[in-house]
Amino acid sequence: MNKKSITIERMLPWLLPLGMVLIWESAVRLNIITLDLLPAPTEIFVDAWNLLRTGELQKNLSISLYRATVGFLLGGSIGFILGVLNGTSKVCRLLLDSTVQMLRNIPHLSLIPLLILFMGIGETSKVTLVAIGCLFPVYINTYHGITSIDPRLMEMGRSYGMSRVKLFTKIIFPSALPTILVGIRYALGVMWTTLIVAETVSSSSGIGYMANDAQQFTNMDTILLCIIIYALFGKISDLIAKNLEDWLLEWQS
Amino acid sequence: MQRTKRKSLLIILVTVWTLIAIYGWQQIYGQDDKSLTKVVIGYQAGDEIEIAKLHGSFVKKMKAKGYAVSFREFQNGSAMMQALASGKIDYGRVGDTPPVSALASGTKLTFVGAGGTRSLGSGIVVTKKSWIKKASDLAGKKIAYTRGTSSQYMVLKTLKKLGLTTDDVNLVNMDTNSAALAFAKGKVDAWATWDPYVSKAELKQQAKLVVSGSDVGVQNRNFLVSPTSFASKHQELNSLVVKYLGEDMQWANSHTTVLTKKLAAALDLDRKVVQRMLERRTFALQKMSQRAIKEEQIISNLFYAQKVIKKKVQISSYVEK
Repeated sequence: MNKKSITIERMLPWLLPLGMVLIWESAVRLNIITLDLLPAPTEIFVDAWNLLRTGELQKNLSISLYRATVGFLLGGSIGFILGVLNGTSKVCRLLLDSTVQMLRNIPHLSLIPLLILFMGIGETSKVTLVAIGCLFPVYINTYHGITSIDPRLMEMGRSYGMSRVKLFTKIIFPSALPTILVGIRYALGVMWTTLIVAETVSSSSGIGYMANDAQQFTNMDTILLCIIIYALFGKISDLIAKNLEDWLLEWQS
Repeated sequence: MQRTKRKSLLIILVTVWTLIAIYGWQQIYGQDDKSLTKVVIGYQAGDEIEIAKLHGSFVKKMKAKGYAVSFREFQNGSAMMQALASGKIDYGRVGDTPPVSALASGTKLTFVGAGGTRSLGSGIVVTKKSWIKKASDLAGKKIAYTRGTSSQYMVLKTLKKLGLTTDDVNLVNMDTNSAALAFAKGKVDAWATWDPYVSKAELKQQAKLVVSGSDVGVQNRNFLVSPTSFASKHQELNSLVVKYLGEDMQWANSHTTVLTKKLAAALDLDRKVVQRMLERRTFALQKMSQRAIKEEQIISNLFYAQKVIKKKVQISSYVEK
């Protein structure tokens, strides 16, 4: 009985996506939708296979992953450092927070001409855009996590005579960690969305380029393939973030 | 148990992720040859440069002369002009209109070479359902075009010839990708564009080319442009690039079958679409001619008169001597 309900629980999240794929395939096969506008899932699969054979898919996929990772690490660390600084020091907060808040709401797309001007059209501008995207979620959550620590906890730490470093490693960081991890999880999502934007800027590689190139001549199968790849990437990054959370927050449960 | 399982899943995922990312890093930075001078050339899908890239002999000849050529693809001419303005590309193959707008907005560029015309493959296509039979039926209709590209000039010239103004039609400015979709779905009646979009619309959507460039005197010539700061210092390179590209264009004109196959694969287009595009087009690349300069001057004058650009541009002062 119990085992059965676990298997059902496992399958339930896949029911909707798989069901949609089935309906989609049959709709195309039965000519309810025209092939030119929406290719069948099997055709997307064939397209993926062809791109794999020419080596294009692997190349673009790995390049995208590289850009995303470097951008995320860069932006995430800057966001974390800024969050810690502003969360722990009042001077820093007064000096930096309102500026960061102003910068935060600038749409990434509008930054592109500026980035091209300053950083060119090479890798730097793409990685920078991703870094900018990932910076803010990590910053806000780190900052929020630190500022909303129970003051009594801090008081206790101080009365135990903890040094500033110890206070940070024993109280501030562990209690802010759950919120920081939420920020990281969110940043991992933003990472992919900014990367697509970044890769439309005169790029000749990456999944975003593939999608854009396909869009030029309305090759719907490649466009849909790229969308599926993004969805899978999103799922994988979320899986990583979730497992990271479970692992790091073990002590809480 | 559950925890160790989670932990190992996490480690596997992160390791695989990192390995793929490292592979990507190698893909980007792996194959650099330091001994050669780098030359970056911008292009757009299916143009002269892409043909030279597919043919491969241009890169080889340049390498023999000590230059490592790399190519950068752009979605449209105005994006390319942006990169050119900041010196991020050394050369760029562009249509007739973007350099005029770029010059008017203060970009310092030099015309290095002129390509062939595309007057038969550029124009205004209409959907099967739109009941437009001839150019004059366009009055009052919804026409998609892209600002800053040669389609803008096409529309202005057509209206001028019909004796209409921009108020007599419903002009919609959209990028090429959106326009292609809007046209395919019948959201616009007409679309000012160029090959291979024209040939694709004709063959795949039974669209009709009611106005072609040759009907209204739009040559839609291609140009090779370069930032002035670069072109003035590399005159020898300028003529090398023009010469070698010109040789590849001669190859392109005499090897239509091979080219059709290669281009269709590179652009992921139907062979028939590519074939029609190549049939009505002759490739060339040579030094700037008086005729080409004059064509550009006419565009510049019309744009200034129609207030598309705010500054008068004297094309002949931006031409490689």
